[in-house]
Amino acid sequence: MSRLVKKSPSVCTDLPLDNADICNKLRLMRELLGSCYGPTGRLKQIHNNIGGRVVTTSSSSVLLPAIASSEPFVNLIRTSILHHVRRFGDCGLFAAIFCLSLVEQAKQSGLRAKAVIRSNEHLASLCTDYLKQGGCGCKVKLDLCSGRDLVALARSVVSSKPACVLTEPECVHISRLAVRAFLLTVPCDTPGSVSLGQTVRVSVEGLPVTHSAVVPGLLVDTAEDVYLSQPCSLPHPLVLFSASLAGDLSELGDGLIEVHPRVDSDSQVLSQLLELGNQVVRDGVKVFVCQKVIHPVLQLYLTSHGVTVVERLGVTLMEPLIQLTGAQPVATLHSAVQPTAYGQVGGLSVRRFGSKTMLHLQACGESAICTIILCHRNETMLNELKVTCQKAEHVLRLALREPSALRGGGCTETHLAAYSKSEVPALGRGCSQTEYLRAAEAFCRSLESVARSLEHDGGTSTIDPTHAHRWTRPSDVATERRGVGAGCCGCGSLDGRETWTSAEFPPADLLRDASVQPGVLDSFTAKLNALQVAVETANLALDVRYVIRDVN
Amino acid sequence: LKKYKLEVMLSVKHLHLKHALQTVCTLEAVILRSFGPEGGQVLFTRDTGQAMLSCSGTQILKALRLEHPLARMVVECVWKHSAVTGDGSKTFVLLLASILRLIHAAASKAPGVSQWSTEAAEAATARHLADKLLAFAMTELDDLICVSVAPHGFCVSSEDFTTKTQLPSCPNGFCVQALLSSFFHTRLDYVHCDFLSGLACELLGHWKFQNDTLSFALQFLNDNFPALHTQVSGFPVSSSHVIEGQVIHRDFATPCLQVNNQPVKAVVVTEYLQPKLLRRGDMLDLGCGGRVTGEKSIIPFSAWTERSLESVIATLQSLGVSVLLCAVKQSAAALALAAQAEMCLVECVSEEELSLFVRLSGVAPISDCWMIQPENVATLTFCKPIQLGAHRYADNLITSFKPCSLVICGSGEVQTEQYASAFQDAIRMLFTTWEPTRMTETTALKKPVQSHQCTSLNAHNLTEDTVCRSSDVYVLKPGCVIPAGGTFEFLLHHALLQHGRSCSASNYTNTGVGVSQILADALLTVPRQIYSHNLKSFLQTQTRVTSFTSNQPHHFMLLKNARGTTEDPEKGDEPSKLFTLDSGLESVSCKHQLLLAVLQCLTICCVDSLFIRALIFKPAAYLYSFYESKIYVRCFSLFRSSIMAAVKITHCLLHLVLV
Repeated sequence: MSRLVKKSPSVCTDLPLDNADICNKLRLMRELLGSCYGPTGRLKQIHNNIGGRVVTTSSSSVLLPAIASSEPFVNLIRTSILHHVRRFGDCGLFAAIFCLSLVEQAKQSGLRAKAVIRSNEHLASLCTDYLKQGGCGCKVKLDLCSGRDLVALARSVVSSKPACVLTEPECVHISRLAVRAFLLTVPCDTPGSVSLGQTVRVSVEGLPVTHSAVVPGLLVDTAEDVYLSQPCSLPHPLVLFSASLAGDLSELGDGLIEVHPRVDSDSQVLSQLLELGNQVVRDGVKVFVCQKVIHPVLQLYLTSHGVTVVERLGVTLMEPLIQLTGAQPVATLHSAVQPTAYGQVGGLSVRRFGSKTMLHLQACGESAICTIILCHRNETMLNELKVTCQKAEHVLRLALREPSALRGGGCTETHLAAYSKSEVPALGRGCSQTEYLRAAEAFCRSLESVARSLEHDGGTSTIDPTHAHRWTRPSDVATERRGVGAGCCGCGSLDGRETWTSAEFPPADLLRDASVQPGVLDSFTAKLNALQVAVETANLALDVRYVIRDVN
Repeated sequence: LKKYKLEVMLSVKHLHLKHALQTVCTLEAVILRSFGPEGGQVLFTRDTGQAMLSCSGTQILKALRLEHPLARMVVECVWKHSAVTGDGSKTFVLLLASILRLIHAAASKAPGVSQWSTEAAEAATARHLADKLLAFAMTELDDLICVSVAPHGFCVSSEDFTTKTQLPSCPNGFCVQALLSSFFHTRLDYVHCDFLSGLACELLGHWKFQNDTLSFALQFLNDNFPALHTQVSGFPVSSSHVIEGQVIHRDFATPCLQVNNQPVKAVVVTEYLQPKLLRRGDMLDLGCGGRVTGEKSIIPFSAWTERSLESVIATLQSLGVSVLLCAVKQSAAALALAAQAEMCLVECVSEEELSLFVRLSGVAPISDCWMIQPENVATLTFCKPIQLGAHRYADNLITSFKPCSLVICGSGEVQTEQYASAFQDAIRMLFTTWEPTRMTETTALKKPVQSHQCTSLNAHNLTEDTVCRSSDVYVLKPGCVIPAGGTFEFLLHHALLQHGRSCSASNYTNTGVGVSQILADALLTVPRQIYSHNLKSFLQTQTRVTSFTSNQPHHFMLLKNARGTTEDPEKGDEPSKLFTLDSGLESVSCKHQLLLAVLQCLTICCVDSLFIRALIFKPAAYLYSFYESKIYVRCFSLFRSSIMAAVKITHCLLHLVLV
């Protein structure tokens, strides 16, 4: 009570967007995130000021939590984008760069905030409606029956993470693995509503990337000298305990227990455990798994009777194991294990990956559980690879719900910009025609600036007026005619031979030739949400008039 | 007490009217940034570091953590007002500032001020005026609104919520949406208001009880709103929706297996399923044979708890229960046994969700696991996991009752929080609008209408649409709304001017004129700020409203015309663009309450030109309990009863210490 301090008044910042400090921070954040964007993006090293672990990344899901600012206004934008990344796993940098450049462009245009907000909202709904249409020029239908489209989708996720340091064949290998793992989690013959299985990721440091693999079933950490029962009778019965078998009695309550010297509680509890072990052995169980610790004597007893013992499984692996084996977790120590609680294991083997020895449990029939083993040369690259695989899986799952993709490589952005320019302004309340046109121009410029941030090597980004695709011309190629020498466009569906003629919307139809499929694909669902979230966040940022900070 | 008294130091400080005015004007300047169609939002961080976004006047003012006692008191008044009505906090400050300004102007040029006591006389005049204003508001304002303002609006009956969902074209249902929409305009980003008001209408339509009154349903929603909505971040606002069932904000602790469609039976458990052998403070003595229990081992005790758990599960199974909602975390054995018995178990359900569930299903929660009766079993239509954003929750639908929950999406927690608080305030606002009219003391003691018959001669020509006349007083019917955008203020301004004129004509008193003039002028500030970026439309609106009232002194509904219904074909050609539903609607009773609250706050600001600042150096703990703003209110009420010049310091001191 004597330490009570008077509350001090809050610090108030009027019109945060007119504040030079905040504007600088926003610009810095845009430059920082923009430099990470795309396959040739620059890497960022994150470490705190007293040393500690260094993380090398270019991925928004790692970068955004790390760049927390003391400025609530900057944090507002950051957290909004971060929430999008957590839900959709992709297009985080797109959303961040787009949002920040929308704010910057709106400020530069000098228009009224409300007018910009209304036109932005209008333009965003135009764009989302257009993207949802069937005839949208930047949407590609995904063929889920062929692996090619799925691999292309996974590859554009994997290749956009330069911090994984993958060579071209490695990149393809990882994309294939991601698709394979995804396909293994889709159950084959389940009628009714389908629920996807789970991919468990195991990382092994020190091995080359090409050693990475996908196996059906589960891999669990085990002791070096694991005992394997003879492969006599398949399937093996399995028992799964969720309570601790270390001999502690935790459920008795908070009171005190006074034990006299003559009483040996430990041995009494142990004999109870051994009785349980005895029953399990009599029931012919071959695999004994416990979420927590198993008493060493019980372990010894079980192994001596030919039972494979796995302890300290951890809560995260419980659910996949239950799905895999059909076992029900047991937690009672004083009554016999119900026969229905036993599960079945179809195959049991020991696998070694580098320094790790793992027990491979396979399902009896078909199951949707698989394990992906990711190998890389060092820890920081491995961490990035894990994040990448997680994102690829997320993107593939999103594609299952909405089997479409958008052209990658900046071509969707330029296409949308061209579309927004071509649309006649529909005037809303409180926004004049001039204001709308200028706001639309800022909107298109922001979209194009996102596409332009894909280029980091000093080359020039151009947008062709015919197809509204993005092209890059490397700085060292001195070509005189535009288009020639540029290779192909961002998404890879056009090459430099096309001639640019008209500048009208809709742009020339590309899909005359169905075989021309873009090589770079972006997730449709993620990008659509990113677009909406970016515009909403930018509108919010433009609408803020005061920042009041409680400094207590 | 005496010890503390010695350590109390009082500093008496003079608070002139102009200081009060200055303070309130500062608050007004803050509020104005987020007022009206051009107003923006305010981002603030709490002392915990949590960021919040708001357009609500109350939240902005409270976030400022002001030091000035008068400012704190005004904030307190605003807060109290908006806690009840949920609306009008920004207009509150605006009106207060403008009335104070007018009073200051009136007081400073009041005649008969001698040289030496200019300030004292000024204060006296101000206090006099403030008291008069309040008296006027308590007695005559009510009738004035009923007679001159309410007839221009119309009543939305409480049935309109239900019809809205079925018939979106129904004009009245549209009115509720318009009312909500214009409320959201004052609180949120412009672009999502229409969407959110549609959502709110849908929610209200679902919750409209069969036999209960609307205000009961609104009260229920207001009380249970925290348990009835789920905030999901990472999605655009347009993904928000209403879902069937009550969402329990916890995931299943055991795998949820069931897919069968038959009714699901559920129980609510508030205690541990596995009994705890030893409570805190209990002691178990092992090993001394025969003294207490005779046991030499811990095993039988442990086995006993397991056996009793098994029997509880068996009882539940015999009752056909397959869903357990628990208030506490259950043991691993309980989870495992429940899973083996194919029951779904949800742990750590919050108290408010459980109480809502109990209230909706009408069953008693189980507190003693040995006493499970069939009365404890609720029947659900379904119980399934639902994935909302990053979290998986349990979703229940109770058969006897069809609850539904709201899922509020936004791109971040800051935004969803803002939408949720706006929703709750919208419910409060609707509650105020449809509040059943009570014959309160003030209404009953009001002067009969005859005394100011001069106010409007056309009073008796009114139809009984928005106002019902009972025992010589007019009472506003619940659900009365009027077009937004300053219509209320223009109409009342006009009425007040007429009232003043007729009163002066009938030589009633001289002061009455001043009072109604001040109030009328102050009211105009609100539309002036609304149209501050477009003065032309301010004048247009004013002209239009005035012409309406002068041309059609009889009952005439502005809106009927605007909606283009053919009820008044002869007036159909009249240009009434301003009164289309485009401009939204607002509640008359909210406005009325706002005016009363402002005038009450005004008397506190004006009553005294003196106030006391209590500074207690030791012990520190006292200082801060005093520093809470309540003390000032008490001081003022004390002063009001005593004479301004003769402040009895000792008396006050005693009062302060006793608080």
